[in-house]
Amino acid sequence: MMLTLRQKKKVKEWAGFLIKTLIGLLFVSPLIIGLIFSFQSEKTLSTFPLRVFGSTFTMQNYVNVFSKLPLLGFLKNSVIVCLVTIFAQIVISCLAAYGFVFFDFPLKKLLFTLVVSTMMIPGEVVVITNYVTIQNLNMINTYAGLILPSMISGTAIFLMRQYFLTIPRDFKDAATIDGCGDMAFLFRIAVPLSIPTIISLAIYLFVQIYNQFFWPLLVTNTNEMRTIQIGIGMLVTGDIINYGNILAGAIVAIVPSVIVYIFGQDYIVKGMTAGGIKG
Amino acid sequence: MIPRSDLLGKPRRRKRIKPLSYLLILPAIILFGMFTYYPFIKTIVLSFALTNKSGNFTKWVGFDNWVRVLSKSSFWQVIVVTLKIAGINLIFTFGIAMIFALLATEKVRWSKLYQTMYALPMAIASSPAAAIFLFIYRQSNGLLNNLLGTTINWTNEMPYAMWSVCAMTIWMHVGVSFIFLLVGFRNVPEDVLESAWVEGAGPLRRIKDIIIPIASPQIFFVLFLNINSSFKAFAQIKLLTGGGPANQTKNLIYFIYENAIINGRFETACVQALFLFGMIFFLTRIQFIMEKKVVHYQ
Repeated sequence: MMLTLRQKKKVKEWAGFLIKTLIGLLFVSPLIIGLIFSFQSEKTLSTFPLRVFGSTFTMQNYVNVFSKLPLLGFLKNSVIVCLVTIFAQIVISCLAAYGFVFFDFPLKKLLFTLVVSTMMIPGEVVVITNYVTIQNLNMINTYAGLILPSMISGTAIFLMRQYFLTIPRDFKDAATIDGCGDMAFLFRIAVPLSIPTIISLAIYLFVQIYNQFFWPLLVTNTNEMRTIQIGIGMLVTGDIINYGNILAGAIVAIVPSVIVYIFGQDYIVKGMTAGGIKG
Repeated sequence: MIPRSDLLGKPRRRKRIKPLSYLLILPAIILFGMFTYYPFIKTIVLSFALTNKSGNFTKWVGFDNWVRVLSKSSFWQVIVVTLKIAGINLIFTFGIAMIFALLATEKVRWSKLYQTMYALPMAIASSPAAAIFLFIYRQSNGLLNNLLGTTINWTNEMPYAMWSVCAMTIWMHVGVSFIFLLVGFRNVPEDVLESAWVEGAGPLRRIKDIIIPIASPQIFFVLFLNINSSFKAFAQIKLLTGGGPANQTKNLIYFIYENAIINGRFETACVQALFLFGMIFFLTRIQFIMEKKVVHYQ
């Protein structure tokens, strides 16, 4: 069969697309594997060889994890921690960025350097002494203990500042002449203008905070206060290892962040690359 | 009397410092003070002191902690493991992200599909990821042993345990690097590539001589990012190997956690935390110096 040049090009394009997609599928295959086997009975999972076809599909693992573990409670804790942290980071970083961009005051340079320098101190370096602080404040197993240390980040301030710098200062002068106060300018003009940046920050923070492991592991030790990641961690390292249940629990924990990621990816990419957010 | 500036029609501008400006940055400064600077200084202080069971200061001991920590061979074994994990992670994460970014640079219909798949694992938390990888790695009827027809204990036998930890780490880290590289590669102007193509530059030449130099700021940023994140592998070690077998996958972060939280030796953990800080600081400095020499800014 003879192909015209155009057809050849088309075939080449399709082949390229297919190969790239196959590589992608291979890369996400652990997720697909986890999903498929979470619907298999423990008997199938322990029979050699492992097989997917010809075995019966079952929801039992999901029924088990929801009934044996306070999975909904874990999820509730994760959601509370995420929402409060995101809200706090956005408010506090907007206020600080507004101060740094639109006001002049003594020591501004020094204070800004102090803020940016926090990015040079990895959280892992201070995590142990922060744990001591939270313990001394009697905040182990409290939302406050989970949330307080991550209520602000240098990257959030930096990102908001980068955006506020693009708002012309004339806007502020004009608004002041029209009798618009400083706080009114922030909430009525600066914040509404930066909604896309704020959404980027919020989605990025959601994926980051929801997936936190080290800190909630340290400051929670009761089922009532554990977040979903710690709950799944307990399931993995627990005494009774039932892989069907473990996989079902893992899928439940993965779903929220994957949904947020898939729908918010453009915002995440924008936020990451605009402010040079660290991963 | 009318002020002169008003006569000239210029608005009178008094340079007035508003107390509001300090109030705006106050919450951020307080939180940074409490949870970044105070603990950092406390880490330094405690590294020269003894602590009680709950991690509070009891008495000064000078350099004793430092000498004790740095003179133990077990500490240096942990450092070697840390560097090994970080090195493997850096090379493979960067390599795979480069390949993915080059594959996805060209925007075509539906390219979003594979672009999403290349980045997706970055949204997966380490504990569910560890759950799935354990199912793949487990010795009795694990997926990997099924596929290979082996009975290897992937998470508790060397050298497999090291590679098991690294494979999961790389899988989780590729996405972030991929996104930064992709943005860099897509910045390369279309006409530059086209004229290179017209002049007969093959795909490899175009990558080497055009795409990589133009995207060099992103490439260096990604290296910086990976150096940072490579040292922080914790959850995967805790959940997959617990630092074993025979401490051969125990990195510095895990050692710090073990000393402080499990053994209650906070002063030891503080010395090690400062060592970690020094290592990351030193490597990022080298990287910045190299960046100044190599990177091509447009």
